[in-house]
Amino acid sequence: MKETDIISSGLLELYATGLASEAEMLEVEEAVSQSPEVAEEFSRIERSLEAYAFNISKLPDAAVKHNLDERLFVNTVEKGNVVQMDNRDAKVYSISPAWKWVAAASIILLIGSAILNFKYYNEARDNMAAKEAADNSLLAQQTELDKMNSNFQVIQSKYSEPVSLHGLPAAPDAAAKIFWMKNTGEVYVDPSNLPPAPAGKQYQLWGMVDGKPVDGGMILDTKKGNRYEIQKMKSFGSAQAFAITLETSGGNPTPKGEMYVMGEL
Amino acid sequence: MFKDNLNTLFSHQLKNTFLPEVNKYTEDELVSLLKIRDQSAFSYLYDNYAAALNGVIYRMVDEPQLGQDILQEAFLKIWNNFSQYDNSKGRLFTWMINITRNLTIDTLRSKGFKKQQKISHNEFSVGNIQDKNYSASGFDGIGLYKQLSQLKPEQKSIIDLAYFNGYTQEEISKEMGIPLGTVKTRMRSAIIELRKLMDVN
Repeated sequence: MKETDIISSGLLELYATGLASEAEMLEVEEAVSQSPEVAEEFSRIERSLEAYAFNISKLPDAAVKHNLDERLFVNTVEKGNVVQMDNRDAKVYSISPAWKWVAAASIILLIGSAILNFKYYNEARDNMAAKEAADNSLLAQQTELDKMNSNFQVIQSKYSEPVSLHGLPAAPDAAAKIFWMKNTGEVYVDPSNLPPAPAGKQYQLWGMVDGKPVDGGMILDTKKGNRYEIQKMKSFGSAQAFAITLETSGGNPTPKGEMYVMGEL
Repeated sequence: MFKDNLNTLFSHQLKNTFLPEVNKYTEDELVSLLKIRDQSAFSYLYDNYAAALNGVIYRMVDEPQLGQDILQEAFLKIWNNFSQYDNSKGRLFTWMINITRNLTIDTLRSKGFKKQQKISHNEFSVGNIQDKNYSASGFDGIGLYKQLSQLKPEQKSIIDLAYFNGYTQEEISKEMGIPLGTVKTRMRSAIIELRKLMDVN
């Protein structure tokens, strides 16, 4: 329908006075939205009716507005043009007091629980560390004890033949002990009373077999506490004497360094 | 000349009487504020439109208390359904009078009344304008009466029946004794006349 057609059709008037059918309403709305000319015409029709309606105005009871304010803006103290928050829209949902207490108690319990958790966690962590330290200490002592036990076994064995090596002119105060197991030929040395080996040097044990020095192995200078350990050397089937010389680290096939101690069986 | 004076008087009275804060909001501003549920805008809406809507209700409802209840419900509906108002489809008042009219008809129907109930009181008259309750500020009802009297009775009647009383085309046809097919053209010519009188051209 053309603009002029819809304007002269009377449809706009039907719509404005509430007489139009659904289909006619859609037709008018379409025309109004598409044509400014139709929209203006429709607006004028509306305004004329509106002005007419205002002329049959009748003031309502003041109670109506009062009731509306109460129903729509319950929490509003003032009426009139003061801008008020619309509490209906804000949708403040109230929670029953019991639940508030339950919620508050829950939060307090949760916080308390968290504090205890933290406390116990720290305690457990400290305990764990202490236990680990104690374990290590115990293990170390056990190792030490084992070592001492094995040392004692060497000393206490009924087959053990102790040989004292005495200090020679290079180190008059030095001393060492050899424990020679007669049954197995195992040789142990206690280097406790040797002076510390200088850097790059190492003590080497020699067994005198038929007048010749035979390599008995290098003496480790690892210390346990402040003492050299009794340590197992190479076995000798027989030997007349033992001696310890200071050699370059790693030792030599034949003694080249100075002899520190010596003892005969 | 006489008509021009009347129109000036009319619009002056209209502003002073029914739109006391006419300069406060334009219709677009008012609609925008109502869309965001501004309470003061609602107050303004009520102050400016309640009397006009109440007049429509008064035409159809005899019982004053029932009329006030309907007005209250109408404004509740307007406020609660305001998001549905689309100003591209028509003026705010057209939307509000539709709500008010339909609510009034539904209420009367639910109470067993018929639409004809009060029409005889208003036929071809502007009686309400001269009603002592009409306006607190002493509206010049005589001038308006003369102005509206320029509408032919059948022109006024067809507008009133549809716009104020919510009659259908069939009901108007029956009430006025005119062919159904002529309702549309008669309505158009009646409103063309109204527009001249209301100076909306």
